[in-house]
Amino acid sequence: MRRILTLTLMAVLTAPAMAWAAEAGAGDLPKAFAFLAAGIGFGLAAGLCGLGQGRAAGSAVDAMARQPGAIARIQTAMLLGLAFIESLVLFVFVIAVILLFVKS
Amino acid sequence: MELIEHPPIFRFPSIPDQVLYMWIVMGILLVVAVVATRRLQMVPRGSQNFMEVVLEQFVNEIDETIGHGGRRYLPLIATLGLFILTSNLMGLVPGLIAPTANLNTTAACALIVFFTYHWIGVRKQGLVPYLKHFAGPVPTALKPLMFVIEIISHCARPLSLSLRLFGNMMAGHILLAIFFFMMGLDGMLGWAFSGSLGGILIGAPAAAILVVFVIGFLLPLKILVALIQTFIFCKLAMLYIAAAVEETEHH
Repeated sequence: MRRILTLTLMAVLTAPAMAWAAEAGAGDLPKAFAFLAAGIGFGLAAGLCGLGQGRAAGSAVDAMARQPGAIARIQTAMLLGLAFIESLVLFVFVIAVILLFVKS
Repeated sequence: MELIEHPPIFRFPSIPDQVLYMWIVMGILLVVAVVATRRLQMVPRGSQNFMEVVLEQFVNEIDETIGHGGRRYLPLIATLGLFILTSNLMGLVPGLIAPTANLNTTAACALIVFFTYHWIGVRKQGLVPYLKHFAGPVPTALKPLMFVIEIISHCARPLSLSLRLFGNMMAGHILLAIFFFMMGLDGMLGWAFSGSLGGILIGAPAAAILVVFVIGFLLPLKILVALIQTFIFCKLAMLYIAAAVEETEHH
C-alpha cells in the first residue's frame, strides 16, 4: 500500500516536468530529461552514500571506543574508506554537472 | 553557471583561468620556499619553523606508509601536497578560484602520480617481473584474466584520483556560489534593499541567517574538505608507491 502511494506521489511530482517538457516542444525534451536525470540520480547517489558512509563511520567509532590506543590508525583507514565511498558519488556529481551545463 | 557565478577577479585574455591561478599558486609556493630557506638555522624560527612543521607531517605519513627508504619520494609527495593544499585553500577566497576545481589540473597531478609509481616499480624490479606481478598469486589458468583485471584497476586509479579531488572542489565551489548568490544583491539582500515590506521583514533576517550559516558552517566545512582531500591524495599516492616498491621484497 505504502509503496503504491510512494510511486503515485513520485509520478505526480514528476508529471509537471513531463508536461512542461511536452509543451516546450521536441527540441527541449532531452534537456528536461537531463534535469530530471541529474536530480534523481544525484539524490539516489547522495542517499546511498549516506548509508554507506554511516556504516563505515559507525564501525570506525565503535572500533575507536574499543581500542583507544589505535585511534590514529583507525582514523586514517576510516578517512581512506570514506574517500573511496565518496568518490562514487562524485562520479555521479560529474555526470550531473555534465548533464546540466554541457549543451548537447 | 554564468548566471550565478562571478568570474574571478584577475583574468588575462587568452590564458585559461585555472592556468593563471596555478601560476599564482606556484608563485606563492616559490616565495614561501625562498623565504623559509634563506637563512637556515639549527633552531628554526618564523617561516622556517612553520615549513618544518608542515614537512614533518609529510615525513611522518611517509614513514608510516612506505616505511624504510620512503623518504626518497618526499619531494614528489610534499610538492603535490603543498600545491593541492594551497590551491584548495585559495578557492575559499571570494573572487579567486581554486585551480583544482578544474579537471585539467587534477588530471595532471593524477597522471604524474600514475607514471611515477609505474616508473618506480619498473626501475626497482625490472619491466618483466613488474608486469608479471600484475597477474598475482593465482593458478596459471587464471593469470591472463587477473592480468587484464589488474590493468583495468590500475587505469582506474588516476581516473578516481583526479575525479575525487575535482568533484570535491567543484561541488564546494558551486555550493558557495549558490549560497553567495542567494545571500547577495540578486537574492535576499537585494530583496531587503528593495524597500518593500516583505523584503524588510523576511529578506533581511534571511540574509543574516545565510551569512551566519555560510561563515559558521560552510566555510569551516570547506576548510576541512580542502585539508582532507589533500591528505587523501597524498596518502593514496604514498600507498601506490608503497605497493610498487614493496613487491620486490616478497619475491
